[in-house]
Amino acid sequence: MENDELIESFFEDMRKADQNLDVPVFPETKNKKINWLIPVGLAASILLAGFLFFEKEPEVKAPAEVIIITLEQGPNHEQQFKIEESTYLETWESSTSSLLTEF
Amino acid sequence: MNRKSLEHLLHSHHREAFIWSRQCCGFDSDLAKDVLQLTYLKILEGKATLNEASKAKTWLFSIIRYTAIDELRKAGKIIALDENQELIDLPEEVDGTDYDAIIKLLPSMQQQVILMVFYHQMTIEQSAEVLQIQLGTARTHYARGKKKLKELILKSQTEANHGK
Repeated sequence: MENDELIESFFEDMRKADQNLDVPVFPETKNKKINWLIPVGLAASILLAGFLFFEKEPEVKAPAEVIIITLEQGPNHEQQFKIEESTYLETWESSTSSLLTEF
Repeated sequence: MNRKSLEHLLHSHHREAFIWSRQCCGFDSDLAKDVLQLTYLKILEGKATLNEASKAKTWLFSIIRYTAIDELRKAGKIIALDENQELIDLPEEVDGTDYDAIIKLLPSMQQQVILMVFYHQMTIEQSAEVLQIQLGTARTHYARGKKKLKELILKSQTEANHGK
């Protein structure tokens, strides 16, 4: 027992001496929290890029190049002009063609 | 055990862990800091897992010890020691106030068992777990280490008395 006391006293003194040891500061650990703004921002950018890439270009209407003026008979047998604008002419009938066929 | 609990555990044992790390590194404080850092990384990255919370100190000491062995080996400072290696001849002069130097005169395994039991207030069973040796072997190191340490202390005291 006396031996243990001798040794315990030795370690007691050793512990006191170790009080002067330069113990490093406990390292701050960084939490690996995901910054959600980064993935959300990336996803939004990809969606926007996809939307712009696949978006249909609006059809541009060609300016009217043909004006069709026809004389039509109304329900009360009055004559009236009908004016239409179009880029093309599907059929065209000469206003004097009737002279050829109905003569 | 989650990361927060682990951090709390490491924080609460930090000072003692550093001292043990230093003791495992041949009382080299700089190397001890590196070893402790590596130990914390191993634990927080989940490379070492604690199964029983009641054995936290034993577990931590064991990881520190093995990390220190690895680092000493890398630094080429480790000497292949026979576990039963006996004390080399007692030096002619022993400075009773140079505690580290006195401990270093003991064979490695005896140093560690004695330090764990007397300095860190652990049981011989716990020291056997840290060293991963049989309890009987740990008891042998304990008994031999204690005997030799006593011789060294007495020698230093005798020298101090003669010096007066």
